[in-house]
Amino acid sequence: MSSALYNTTDEDVLLRAGIDRSLRHPVMFFLTSGAAWLAVSILLGVIASAKVHWPSLLAGCPFLTYGRVFPAHMNALIYGWGMQAAFAVILWLTARLTRKECTAVGTILTAGHIWNLGVTLGVVGILSGHGTGMPWMEFPVFAWPVLIFSYAAIMVWPFIQFRVRPEGHVYISQWYLLAAVIWFPWVYITANVFLHCLQGSPLMAAGVNAWFRSAMIFLFFTPVALGTAYYLAPKVTGRPVFSYTLAKLGFWTLAVIAPWAGMQKLTGAPIPYFLPYVGGAATAMLFVPAAAAGVNTLRTILSNKETLSSSPALRFTTAGMGSLILLGAAAVFLNLPGSTLPRTQFSLSGYGFDILALYGFFTLTMFGATYFIVPRVTRREWLSRRLIKTHFLFSVYGTIFVALVAIFGGLLQGGSQEDFTKPWATGAAKDAYPYALTITVSWALILFSNIFFFIHLTFMWLRLGRRSSHPTLLVFSHGGSPHGEEGDIDNVGPASAH
Amino acid sequence: MSLRTFILGIAATFGIAWLAVVVVPFFKMRDLAPATFDEAADGQTGVFIAKRAGRVAGGAEVYAENGCYLCHTQVVRPTYAGNDLFRPDWGGNAADETRGDTRRETTPYDYEGEAFAQVGVMRLGPDLSNLAVRVPTYVAEGQTPEDWLYKHLYNPRSIPALWDSTCPSHPFLFSKRTSYGPPSDGALDVETRDGYEVVPGPDAKALVSYLLSLKKDQAVPASLNFAPKKTEGEN
Repeated sequence: MSSALYNTTDEDVLLRAGIDRSLRHPVMFFLTSGAAWLAVSILLGVIASAKVHWPSLLAGCPFLTYGRVFPAHMNALIYGWGMQAAFAVILWLTARLTRKECTAVGTILTAGHIWNLGVTLGVVGILSGHGTGMPWMEFPVFAWPVLIFSYAAIMVWPFIQFRVRPEGHVYISQWYLLAAVIWFPWVYITANVFLHCLQGSPLMAAGVNAWFRSAMIFLFFTPVALGTAYYLAPKVTGRPVFSYTLAKLGFWTLAVIAPWAGMQKLTGAPIPYFLPYVGGAATAMLFVPAAAAGVNTLRTILSNKETLSSSPALRFTTAGMGSLILLGAAAVFLNLPGSTLPRTQFSLSGYGFDILALYGFFTLTMFGATYFIVPRVTRREWLSRRLIKTHFLFSVYGTIFVALVAIFGGLLQGGSQEDFTKPWATGAAKDAYPYALTITVSWALILFSNIFFFIHLTFMWLRLGRRSSHPTLLVFSHGGSPHGEEGDIDNVGPASAH
Repeated sequence: MSLRTFILGIAATFGIAWLAVVVVPFFKMRDLAPATFDEAADGQTGVFIAKRAGRVAGGAEVYAENGCYLCHTQVVRPTYAGNDLFRPDWGGNAADETRGDTRRETTPYDYEGEAFAQVGVMRLGPDLSNLAVRVPTYVAEGQTPEDWLYKHLYNPRSIPALWDSTCPSHPFLFSKRTSYGPPSDGALDVETRDGYEVVPGPDAKALVSYLLSLKKDQAVPASLNFAPKKTEGEN
C-alpha cells in the first residue's frame, strides 16, 4: 500500500503473515459478532427513537416498552459492539507492534464466547424487565462479574505480549492501547463495586454512575480509537506522524484530565459542590487532547491526499478524527455552567454527545481499522467497492444527522425546559418531537448500511473474499479492475506484507 | 519511557482523580451528619428526620426496570443551575394553605430509602420530585390520586388533558380479567371489551405507592433550605 516501506525483508513479511494468521479467528470473531450487535443495537435505537414521537407503536409489548428498549440499545452498542471492536483492534495492533504471534487463541476465543453470552443475557435481562436502572450499567447484576472475568482472559494477552516484546522504541499507539487496557477494568470494577456491593449515599451512587459514563468514553473508547488512528494514518499514507511531541502531549493531557470529568451531569443535585464544577471544567478541557490528536492525525493523513480518497481505511479514520475535533468542541460548548449546561443537562444534547463519541468518533475509526485489518488476517480482499462506499456515506451522514440534530435540537429543547413562564405540557414536552423524528430516520439509514457491513464481514470471515494481491481501493475506473490483475495471494508477496 | 514509569504515571494521574472525585466523596457522603433544627431560624430544636411513607424500595425497583428515569428527573436544582424552582409546582406547593410557599431545592435527605438516586438523564417528561403534591390537583370529583396514576400508567392518552402525551403505556403492569356484575374495587375506569375489567397488578401497585411518596413537603431546617425569593417566578 505504501511504496516507502518496500525495503522490508522476507523475514519481516513472513513474521507479519504469521501474526495475521495466528489472529485470524479472534479478530474475525470479535469484529463479526460486534457488527451483529451493532445492527441489533441500531435496530433497538430505531424502535426507541420512533416511540418518542409515536408512543402507540408496539405499545402492547412489554419487551419493547421505551424504558427497556433504550437501555438495551445503549448497552448493546457499548458492550456488544464497542468493547468487541476494541478487543479485535487491540489484539491485532499489539501483536503487530510487538512483533509477536498470538499464542492464546483458544483462551481468547473461549472468553470471547463467554463475553457474548454475558452481553446476550444482559440485554435479554433488560428487555424482560430486570434492568438495574443505572444508565449504561443496566445489565442485571449477575452480568458484570461475567464480563470482567472474560475481559481479563482476553486482554491479559496483549499485556503479556507487551511485557515480552523485543527491545526498542515503543510507538505511541501502544501506549494508548495499553492505557485503555488498564483503565477499563479500574473504571468498570470501581463503578460496579460501589454501586452493587457497597452501601452508600444514593446520590453519590448516581455521581459515580455519571463519572463511569464519562470515563467509558474518555478512558476507554477514546484511547483505543486514538491508538488505532495513530497506527493507520502513517501506515496507510506512508508518511511519518506530523508531530510526535504533540502525540505524546495529547496522551498525557488525556490521562491527566479525563479521570476528573463526568459529574457535571449532576449539577444542582445535593452532592459536594466542587464535584460538578470539577467535572464541567475537566470535560471542557478535554478539548486539548481531542484537538491535539485530531489535528495531528488529520495533518498526517492530509500529507497524502491521493491515498485519502482511495483508501477506505483512511476515509473512515478521517471521518472519525473529524468527529473527535467536533466532540472536543462540543465538550466545551455544552458544559458551560450558567449558560449552556442548564439547557443540556437534561435534554437530547446529552444523547447527541454520547452518539458523537461512541459512533461518530469511535465507531467510524473502528470501521477504518476493520477495512485495513480484515484483508490482512483473511488474506482475501473486500468483495465490493460499492458496499464500502455506501457504508461510508450512510454512516457519516447518518451520524452527522443523529449527533448534530440531537445536540442542537437538545439546546432548543433545553431552552423551553428552562422557560418557566410556559406550562410544561404545551412548551418543553412538545419540543423534542421534530428532532426525535429526524433521529429515527437517520438511525434507519445507518441500520441499512450496517446490515450490509455485517454480511460483508461474514463473507470475509468465510474467506469468500476476492483472491487478489491488490488492496481494494475506492477509485473510479471504466471497465477492467481498478486493482490491476487478479492474482493468487497465498504466496507471500509484497502486497500481503503491510 | 519504561513500562514501569508508564504504569506509575497513569496510576498517579488516574489515582488522584479517582480518590478525589469518587472514593473520598463516596465515603464522606455515606456518613452524612444529621441536620439539626435551630431554635432561632426554625422555631424548633432537635434532629431532622426525613420521613417518607409508601413502598419505596419495591416501587423504586419497578421505576428502574421500566426506565422511567430516561424521561423523568427527580431533582429540583438550585437557581444557579436551572430554573426548576420558578415553576409553580415543581419545587413544592407555591401556595400551600397553611404554610404559604413551600418550594425548595432537593436536599441529600430526599432520597431516603432508595439505593440509587434517580436524578435522571433527560426531561422528555416533567420532573417528578413533587409529583404527589401535584396529582391531587389533577383528579376529578370522586377520583383518588391512585386512580389518576393507574389510569396514567395504563395509558396516558386515556386522560383527556393528556391526549397528546408521548409517555409510553404500560398495560403489562395491569391484568385484564373477566368481570362479574358490577366492577370490582380498584378496577380502572378505562374502555375494555364487554365482560372484562382492568385491575392493577403488584408492580403497578408498588410503583403508584412509590410515586405518591414523591413529595418534598416536610419542613426542613433552614440550614438545608436555600430557597431564594420566588416572587419573580409566580405565575
